[in-house]
Amino acid sequence: MMAYPERVLVTKIGFDGHDRGSRVVAAFLRDAGMEVIYTPPWQEIEAVVKLAMQEDVDLIGVSSLATDHLIMPDLIAALRDAGMDHVRLIVGGIIPQNEQPELLNAGVSAIFSPGATSEEIVETVRELVVEARAARECAEEM
Amino acid sequence: MPKIASNTDSASLKEKQAKWQIRYDREIGRDRTVVNRSGVEVRPLYTPLDWSDGRYDEDLGMPGELPYTRGIYNTMHRGRTWTQRQLIGLGTPQDYNKRVRMLLQQGASAISLLPCNSGFRGIDCDESPVPLLGTCGTVINTVDHMDSALDGVPIGEISTAMNDPTPFTLFAFLLSVAKRRGVPFDKITGTANQSDYISHFVANHMFYRLSQPGARRVFVDHVKFCREHVPNWNPVSVVGQHMQQAGATPAETMGLTLSTAIQYADDCIEAGMSPDKILPRFTYFFDISISFFEEVAKFRAGRRIWAKITRERYGAKDPRSWRFKFHGQTSGVDLTQQQPLNNIARVTAQAIAGIFGGLQSMHTDGFDEAMTCPTEDAARIAVATQNILREEAHLCDVIDPLGGSYYVEALTNEMEEKILQVMDVIENAGGMYNAADAGIVQRMIGKSAFEYQSRIESGAEKVVGVNCYQSEAEDGEVETYRPNREAMEAQVAAFKAFKADRKQADVERALDELARAASGTQNVYEKVVTAADSGVTHGEIIACLRRELGFGHPLMVA
Amino acid sequence: MSSDGKIRAEALAERLRKGDPLALGQALTVVENGGSNALALTEALAGAFGKARIVGFTGPPGAGKSTLLDALIHEWRREGRPVAVLAVDPVSPISGGAVLGDRTRMGAHSLDDGVFIRSVSARGHLGGLCEAAHDMADIMDAAGWPLILIETVGAGQSETEIAQVADLSVVIAAPGLGDELQAIKAGILEIGDLLVVNKGDRDDAGETAQHLEAMLSLRSGAKRDVSVLRVSATTGSGVSRLKDEIDHRLEAAGVAAGADRKRKRNARKMALAIHRVASRISAGIPDEDIGAMKPEELDHVIERWLASLPTGVED
Repeated sequence: MMAYPERVLVTKIGFDGHDRGSRVVAAFLRDAGMEVIYTPPWQEIEAVVKLAMQEDVDLIGVSSLATDHLIMPDLIAALRDAGMDHVRLIVGGIIPQNEQPELLNAGVSAIFSPGATSEEIVETVRELVVEARAARECAEEM
Repeated sequence: MPKIASNTDSASLKEKQAKWQIRYDREIGRDRTVVNRSGVEVRPLYTPLDWSDGRYDEDLGMPGELPYTRGIYNTMHRGRTWTQRQLIGLGTPQDYNKRVRMLLQQGASAISLLPCNSGFRGIDCDESPVPLLGTCGTVINTVDHMDSALDGVPIGEISTAMNDPTPFTLFAFLLSVAKRRGVPFDKITGTANQSDYISHFVANHMFYRLSQPGARRVFVDHVKFCREHVPNWNPVSVVGQHMQQAGATPAETMGLTLSTAIQYADDCIEAGMSPDKILPRFTYFFDISISFFEEVAKFRAGRRIWAKITRERYGAKDPRSWRFKFHGQTSGVDLTQQQPLNNIARVTAQAIAGIFGGLQSMHTDGFDEAMTCPTEDAARIAVATQNILREEAHLCDVIDPLGGSYYVEALTNEMEEKILQVMDVIENAGGMYNAADAGIVQRMIGKSAFEYQSRIESGAEKVVGVNCYQSEAEDGEVETYRPNREAMEAQVAAFKAFKADRKQADVERALDELARAASGTQNVYEKVVTAADSGVTHGEIIACLRRELGFGHPLMVA
Repeated sequence: MSSDGKIRAEALAERLRKGDPLALGQALTVVENGGSNALALTEALAGAFGKARIVGFTGPPGAGKSTLLDALIHEWRREGRPVAVLAVDPVSPISGGAVLGDRTRMGAHSLDDGVFIRSVSARGHLGGLCEAAHDMADIMDAAGWPLILIETVGAGQSETEIAQVADLSVVIAAPGLGDELQAIKAGILEIGDLLVVNKGDRDDAGETAQHLEAMLSLRSGAKRDVSVLRVSATTGSGVSRLKDEIDHRLEAAGVAAGADRKRKRNARKMALAIHRVASRISAGIPDEDIGAMKPEELDHVIERWLASLPTGVED
């Protein structure tokens, strides 16, 4: 397939409502030429999976404050069940240092804390989207 | 007799300043342009040419009278210090109770209750994943929960703030507790923080419970109910904090907040309440950022503008209607995860700005508050900070001590101009409700948030420990608060048992009445209160109202 | 094109026909981005097009399109009817990227399997936005979605074109939009079958409706059966009447609608192909795509285009 812009979902699961960070990141990704599907906070995991499917996204960026990251594994499992494990996941926000390794082991590709620059985030997303698309092609061939 | 320099020889002063400017330019080399967050240019020097006390009567006046720039009361903090109202919310009602008793002991003079995020979303604890319960607020779904949370707290004597948006179930639970304890309603004092539904929709925090028109309806009914039955309660708290935290500049924040207040006043008046009946019970809730002088000027300008609006737009005659009463919270947005103890210094600077800005009550953040529900130590230091500023730095001894400063007065005037510009934009859009509906507000806020972040990335805006003065050595890992898992599971189990044991007939009847009121024209809030009395839970009340009044969705995305 | 590509297209088409929800999302991406894969997929799905009805919604920002669409979806869902939506969002002129947020207004349906929403950015699509949107609608059609709504932000030319893709075109205006109303006049009014004044509960809504009616009566050209309706998406007033009107008109257009659309579409494709050939020849108006191709490649492409066009209505 010809090259087409990255399709990224920026969302918040769990119960936190502060979305300034996710909005700003969405704007930075847009300015980097990507197509960003943006949702408000408080998305149900099931809704996120459906959305990812309908929009055929390459990557999901989850913004998390406090403890919402604790349900990331549930999202990961749901994506797998829906046949979407090629979709890459990143998490941004406030995640305690000691809880980060678990998240990465569960399948999150990268974690961004305050202080991460938009450049870093954009770069990482680009690389991960390439990975996601390659992974998808492999899956199709099987 | 001190000399009042109201007839400074301005020609001579201009000349002197011009000469200084030459020396200044020569020595400083390339000067940087300094612009504050609201876009006001900040010059290196201010003199009577920028503001002189020839304008004293017009711009300042005395505290406790028009134009109220110097303060809404005659005695301000010298007569009565600001209320130390720390926002607390964590874990189970018992956890909350323990923390609130500790804080009261240490000098907090009022309490504030922050419910769990699951509550903000409008559901009960038996509908949430357990790990997400009680992490940023207290789980309160029933009257019993409220009773435990406030065990031993004299609700008839102490002012409480319920941080609960429409349909104000927590307040209904509080009233039920008051009935249980035989506390008459006119003894209940405090504020319905978070009553500002428009700020939820535009700053996307807690829009989730009800549609905007539904929230509007319940808001007005709630004000009516309170004015009639709980006369010493402030049912309206217009929350500038949400806008500023979402990225609005201080001037935009004040402009949007005042426009919101106007919308609420208009709505209440349209519903038949008179200005002097409602305006004395309008309060405000603001963030205090670390842009020190800008915040002081923002508050002083806000006070002045509101006094004018209440008199000129609403014809309010009661001086209590003209007073801009506000609670300030030090801004968590300025706090950093890197080198967290630095945040104590930040909170101190912010608190001073708030005090000089003339607030009526204040919450100071714990140094870890941007990352977690504050630990006991952090909470203690936060309260101690206020005590130190009062007792040791003597910040309460003089009313409006920055008044008369050439800079602060010039800045107050300039902020006022910017604030009024924002208010014009909203007025032209047909008022705050329509402006929010059309996405104008959200776009304004989103633009400012984006610009601010860009400035941080470029280094134009410096944040110690983040884009300058970074340090590998983190001074201590911040302890993340997690409620006790067993205690929370026990709470959920007890809640389920409560639901099974209560009188179903009462519950059904109350919900039926609530639904009928919502689909008709009766006062909905009255029925929320009776529902609370009948053992209906928080989630059940909201589910009922959602069905009748519509589900909430954010209005617009940048 | 490789037989490999053909096999993959067949597999995807099969999954799509079976109702695999993952397949629809992926198929939409394939056709949106054109190229040989898109052609192969379209070929593999030949015969599955033409059952759906397409309704276009356009109007200036601030008119409340998404909110109205959300309310209409509720109405159709109440009747148990599945609805697919293509939400076209404007693109950032600077970067070419886009924040596609329209669907957030339709968030109530996020868990409903009977609603499928796809966001499309108005970026530089190979072959044009209009083509891409039509191709994507065709895929939704082939996947079995009987009702397809296309929402665009009105005022631009491509948005007007998209309205032509639809069987029925709804233009949404709102009072108090001032200058935006002028923009509506510019071209969109020409193609609207239904003109809807949203925020009908406002005092000035009546004025806006009258204004639109006046503009209609001044319009030259073929007489069309255009109606002006007042609704309020937020209170729900007039929404079910609007839905009924839409349903009624779609039914009146009948089976012919699908074929009619196809005829128009083919004619457009033909015209596009001819234009490209002509511009290659005339070199005065260079077409970048064509410009990069060798003449024999160009011939091949044109031949395939012509071959892919069905000859009759029954296809």
